[in-house]
Amino acid sequence: MANQDDPHLLGEADFRNTVHSFEFWFEAVEGYLHGRPYGVSPHVAEAELTDRQRDGLITTLCNYCVGETAALDASSGMIGFAPDRRAKIFLATQVVDEGRHLEILLHRLSQLGVADPDAEIAARANRNLLTFRDRLLDFVNASDWEASVFAQNVILECLEFTVFRHHSGTADPVTAELLRGIVSDERRHMGFGENDLGRRLIGAPHTHDRLHKIKRDLDGLVLNTFVETMGELGIPPSEQPDLAGDYLGAVARLGFRT
Amino acid sequence: MNDPLQAPRGQPRQRFDLEETGFNEVPIRFRRFYRRWRGPGDALAPNEALCPVCKVVIRSTRELRAGDRVYCMPCMSRLELIDDNGMLVAKVLY
Repeated sequence: MANQDDPHLLGEADFRNTVHSFEFWFEAVEGYLHGRPYGVSPHVAEAELTDRQRDGLITTLCNYCVGETAALDASSGMIGFAPDRRAKIFLATQVVDEGRHLEILLHRLSQLGVADPDAEIAARANRNLLTFRDRLLDFVNASDWEASVFAQNVILECLEFTVFRHHSGTADPVTAELLRGIVSDERRHMGFGENDLGRRLIGAPHTHDRLHKIKRDLDGLVLNTFVETMGELGIPPSEQPDLAGDYLGAVARLGFRT
Repeated sequence: MNDPLQAPRGQPRQRFDLEETGFNEVPIRFRRFYRRWRGPGDALAPNEALCPVCKVVIRSTRELRAGDRVYCMPCMSRLELIDDNGMLVAKVLY
């Protein structure tokens, strides 16, 4: 007799209905967030940071806040022109995730002694990331679904997934645990984008050329942001994570070549 | 594509009892079907495949073969296993 809990036995429609739901989201996030106020277990102790390490971490977290705020603004705006109810429900869960990310990053900044996060973020924000944010919000304001999903759920989420995953392996214990929780959320956001766009490109191949142009325009911003973030974290090029393996891998699977 | 509900053709497939792996990113009833990839020293068992999208290891109660379809719930991807020069790799189906 088939195991009713075996996800691989689900039909495609049942699978998508299952995962694009608040029911799924509630039970998924419960696993890695329950008992972790602001994303961190109470028993995790602060490590001693040098002034230089602390300052570098503040700059990095300020830029994470820029990315998460962009994703919060974009995903909430996209609900209004999402093509179907499943996408709307999924985006509603993403909005909650992005709001949580912003909240825990601001909380971490306050733990690091930042009294005025808005001023600090404005002073330390990466120019490339701000330009990327503006381009993303232009797509959202134009109700351009394909460009918005591509810029946010493929490009921005892949960048965040790669950087956060790597940073969680090198950060102090408190920052590392909150980043691991964010990475768990990013898997859903990134997967939603690639799969939605992949299905859409099969049905509308002419969209491909338009998105390819957008990709070429945004590539420089993404790669410069990545390089600058790695610099802030003090990670030498030889030890930097493989952005190509995640971001360029995702766009290659969608049929985009550099 | 192989229908997972049908009996396998050719050599019988190995069956596997799935234990909990500590993976906690999907609802409890699905957690034993996934585990974290432990990095370069890690190896996939005959009932496992690596999701190319989110790098989580997908597990099945039976040996996996080319043509099988599996789901990665953590990133919500549908995958098909293909034979790539003798190695089983997962390809995203859109």
